[in-house]
Amino acid sequence: MSETAAVAVVEPRPEWSRRAAIIGVGETDFAADYRASRAKEPGFVPPTAESLAIRAFERALADAGLQRDDVDGLSVSLIYGGGEPAEIAKVLGLQPRWLARGGGTMSGTIPPAVAALLTGRADTVALIYAAASRAIGRVFGGGTYSSGPTSYYYYHPWGWSSQAAHWAMIFQHYMARFGATEADLGAVATTLRTHAQRNDNAIMRTPLSIEDYLASRYIVKPLHLFDMCLVNDGGICIILQRRDMAEDRAHTPVLVAGWGHSEIHKQKLHYLVRERLRPQFDEAGQQAFAMAGLTRADVEHFQGYDASSMHLLQQLEGYGFAEPGEGLHFFQQGHAGIGGRLPVNTSGGLLSHAYMHGWNHVVEATRQLRHEAGDRQVEGVETSFFSMATTQEADPVIFTRGV
Amino acid sequence: MAERRPNRTLGAPHDEFWAYCDSGELRLQRCGDCSHVSWPPVDACEMCGGSGLSWDAMSGRGRLVSWCTFHQRYYEELETPYDTILVELEEGPLFVSNPSGFSNDAAFFDMPVKVAFADCEDDAGAFRLPVFEPA
Repeated sequence: MSETAAVAVVEPRPEWSRRAAIIGVGETDFAADYRASRAKEPGFVPPTAESLAIRAFERALADAGLQRDDVDGLSVSLIYGGGEPAEIAKVLGLQPRWLARGGGTMSGTIPPAVAALLTGRADTVALIYAAASRAIGRVFGGGTYSSGPTSYYYYHPWGWSSQAAHWAMIFQHYMARFGATEADLGAVATTLRTHAQRNDNAIMRTPLSIEDYLASRYIVKPLHLFDMCLVNDGGICIILQRRDMAEDRAHTPVLVAGWGHSEIHKQKLHYLVRERLRPQFDEAGQQAFAMAGLTRADVEHFQGYDASSMHLLQQLEGYGFAEPGEGLHFFQQGHAGIGGRLPVNTSGGLLSHAYMHGWNHVVEATRQLRHEAGDRQVEGVETSFFSMATTQEADPVIFTRGV
Repeated sequence: MAERRPNRTLGAPHDEFWAYCDSGELRLQRCGDCSHVSWPPVDACEMCGGSGLSWDAMSGRGRLVSWCTFHQRYYEELETPYDTILVELEEGPLFVSNPSGFSNDAAFFDMPVKVAFADCEDDAGAFRLPVFEPA
């Protein structure tokens, strides 16, 4: 077994475009598990990262029509604790030639796997992700965090911490700059909820009106409860294979066509609040389009990281799918809906489907490009743009339907 | 009476910043090479990497860039709701702080503000926290 490599940034290479394919996806039962974790009936056993990983892996194997032994590469992303990659390989019954430590979130996890496939280090790679967020009582802000100077947790003495605080500051600035209102922002959460209603495995499927949205409590004003993503336990496995090996599968292969990467190195608050990461999205997006040989006009489906509604809004605008200040109109006019000009987060996103750190976005892109998304299928979709984004980096990946 | 606050980040180079606050001065690190003012404290200029940093006195004046109000409670030291603001200092840096003498209901974009110091304490003892009041 090789040494465990950490995920590093892999430069986009046009010659690697469309030469690796997603051939299998597996996920846990987010909605049922969420209900069970809240009900805590007698006999309820909270999941562990390992139990979630095993279930997702077995489902992905079945989806791909592969045997365990076919998998010779593994990338492990257990975001909130769990075994070392070598231990997880053992738990999954694998002896991989290529073993990597993923980043936790979807950031930068796919490019190293593609590189491993195309440089002969593996033929079939499983990317494993699991988060036992609820089970470990994860809190997303406050004094539980370390407070290094590059971290936003530096501002503890003023009480400014949490993901919500970021998007709240950004949206307050956005409202002042573009004349938007809280009700306008509600279009994001309500649109994604209508998508979740078409998804059996979405956690939040109750109808959500703008009135419901505005009546919900503030988390950090001007952001309401429904502007923030869910917190749930779950696991996801995505199996990638060299394109030339991926013929005659049960499902249409989904090709990795391009990717990009850009991050903030300085003046984080400036780029976050005043620029809304536009320079980073623009740079990373251009890299991905160049590698894929595509343009923005080719994109028919968008899966963006919606830790918050505001986060998603700034990605749509940042990559240029909507003009600055126009992103909320884009939602209000139905362009982001299924059947719209550019359907966005069609499984319900992190806001209403499940908080799987971008991994469920890739599963949804895969189902859409296979044309297996059922009630929420985007008709005839050939190209999907996935945007992984944090408070300081952008990692888009473009997927295309392998014919 | 000193207000209880969540803990500061201490140690070099942060201690120097708080020592200036204790004497009622807002001083941040200015780079001798490119003149950029970094915040939070750095070991080298965040803009050019220069290491010739000096703790320069800020005018204390700035304008509101944004603000938000915490309703979700993240700190046991702070009862909700409470206001936070983002100030662009005259010298350039964006500074996360709290309003003093006004609330976020009265805040407006580009509102002029000036620094004041609130008596606070955390686990490391008493300190003076830079906050901003209407200018």
